[in-house]
Amino acid sequence: MEMQQKPLLDGMDPELMAPLISRREAIRKGLSTSSMIAAGLALGSAPVALAVLAKDVYGQTPADILDALRFAYVLENLENEFYKAVLGTSAVTAQNNAFATVRASIPASAVAAFQQIQKHEAAHVAFIAQAITLAGSSVPPLTANDFDFTGGNGSSTPGPFVRATTELAFLLLTAQALEDTGVRAYKGQAGRLLINGDALSDTVLEAALRIHSVEARHAAKLRRIRRALNTSDTSLRFSGYVLGSGVAAAGAGNIANPPQAVIEALNAIYGGGSGPVSYNESNTSHVVFNGTAAVTINAATLANTDAIGNATARSNAAQMAFDEALTKDEVIAIVRGFIKDDAARGLP
Amino acid sequence: MSKLRPDPDQPLAIASASELMNPASRRSFVRMLLGGGTALLLPGVFVGCDDDDGGITGPDETPDPVTGISFDLRTDVGIFRMVHVLEQLESAFYTAVLSSSTFSSFTTEEREIFTDIRDVEIIHREFVAAALGSAAVPDIRGSINSTTLNSILGSKATIISTARMFENTGVAALNGAGKYLQDARNLLIAGKFVSVEARHAAALRDIAPPAGQDANKAFAGDDIVDANGLDVKLEAGAALGKVVGTNLVIAGTFASPAITNAPTATQGTASADFFPTNP
Repeated sequence: MEMQQKPLLDGMDPELMAPLISRREAIRKGLSTSSMIAAGLALGSAPVALAVLAKDVYGQTPADILDALRFAYVLENLENEFYKAVLGTSAVTAQNNAFATVRASIPASAVAAFQQIQKHEAAHVAFIAQAITLAGSSVPPLTANDFDFTGGNGSSTPGPFVRATTELAFLLLTAQALEDTGVRAYKGQAGRLLINGDALSDTVLEAALRIHSVEARHAAKLRRIRRALNTSDTSLRFSGYVLGSGVAAAGAGNIANPPQAVIEALNAIYGGGSGPVSYNESNTSHVVFNGTAAVTINAATLANTDAIGNATARSNAAQMAFDEALTKDEVIAIVRGFIKDDAARGLP
Repeated sequence: MSKLRPDPDQPLAIASASELMNPASRRSFVRMLLGGGTALLLPGVFVGCDDDDGGITGPDETPDPVTGISFDLRTDVGIFRMVHVLEQLESAFYTAVLSSSTFSSFTTEEREIFTDIRDVEIIHREFVAAALGSAAVPDIRGSINSTTLNSILGSKATIISTARMFENTGVAALNGAGKYLQDARNLLIAGKFVSVEARHAAALRDIAPPAGQDANKAFAGDDIVDANGLDVKLEAGAALGKVVGTNLVIAGTFASPAITNAPTATQGTASADFFPTNP
């Protein structure tokens, strides 16, 4: 199966296409909008740039972009509310109380890292909310009450991740898994945001890429914190890389007797499909379009890599060198347990 | 004889093959030939070649400098050629770090990080080379300024700050170039690379934060992630400027201007850059 070039245009509702194309022509002709966009960007504020576009250039927003934004909004809220509960700053007392035990065991250095991460997640929530609003849609009404950080789907029985509320190692593993899921989710959505010559998609795609790499920084830091607490576990790399796939890639070695449901969740978080977007994290074969044809290249069998070392070292490097994507459906299956299943709220 | 600025009117004397292997005199040799000058190969050169089973451009030896590299960013191939330059420089830099005497003073953790990064950059370099095929950028190891390199390799601090510059430039360049790619498969590949580069950057900033950064927050500090929670981003010209700014590439390696064609309006529109002076 091959991913189509510019899939969004191919699948777009013709009623959306006409105004989009004419608006794009307007942009190409260089009209007043471009100077307004430039002014927005000069302020250093992407939302300002988005506002200009949404209000003045687009009557309608391409459905895929809006869908991806709403999806990202749910993920960012999940992360933001999770860290707030961990830090004891949630608006919901019960969420703060749930993490009281583990909170007392978090070293001050890790608290500072959590605070920095939470600040970014809050910024992402606000940024994406603004983008959704300016794109002419409503922001899903999410609050801390909509999440179940035990992964229990809101059931009265705590879910498999409940030990994150009492054990530091389990908490750090959960945070890392959420961040790596975020990295994989954004990577999977990037192709849906690619509409060349469409200024709105340019802006949203670039913002998504920039959020994506921030999530990777977070994930790397969490891996490093975990490795420092368990220095002999070389499956967790000091470099922050993801090595291998499934539960092994999570580096769950310092978790005593992890519940089977957690192992299955980690297998999904670091697993994947058979392409064209989603692959297992240990995948080494990748498809590129070289300007003429689609070519599959196996990073594990490249020439001129002897300096890396033996076959095992080369294989490990080939796995670490590529972070893999997940599809939206795969991500939803992973995070569903963390969201109270309330259809009335429009949650996935 | 000045090795750095050969006078084309004077013959350049090269006494031995080992002198020819010295980057400064090899560059002089190339410049001399390009300038129409005369190179005087003394008999020792050929003796030296006989002793060297790899020949002058053997597989383990530094190739001749590349000059006049340019980029046409109107295609995905052109954009990935720029990525290829970055990956080549990164892998050459980390390879040099690992074989430097300073590396022995690195902690176990630092050695693991730098080895991982070197290995991954080599994979990236060869992957992009394979993807580009005949459009690949030539081996640019010979264009590395050995004086600058040796200076950087002299201390752990300068090694790590240079590494931070490379990795964060890699993140910023890919974050800025993604919108210009025209094939979703190539965007996916760029995405697979950029989060790995971001992991490098975070680890490097974590072990050695830039001056003034909170050690516990530097992995994603306020200098590198803006108030909207967005990471660094550079348009192609600015990213190349960061590479040139390291002084690790000898003058003339890139054409002037290096970017012969910017992305078209059909591909996308440039946006404001975000990148600290000392990432």
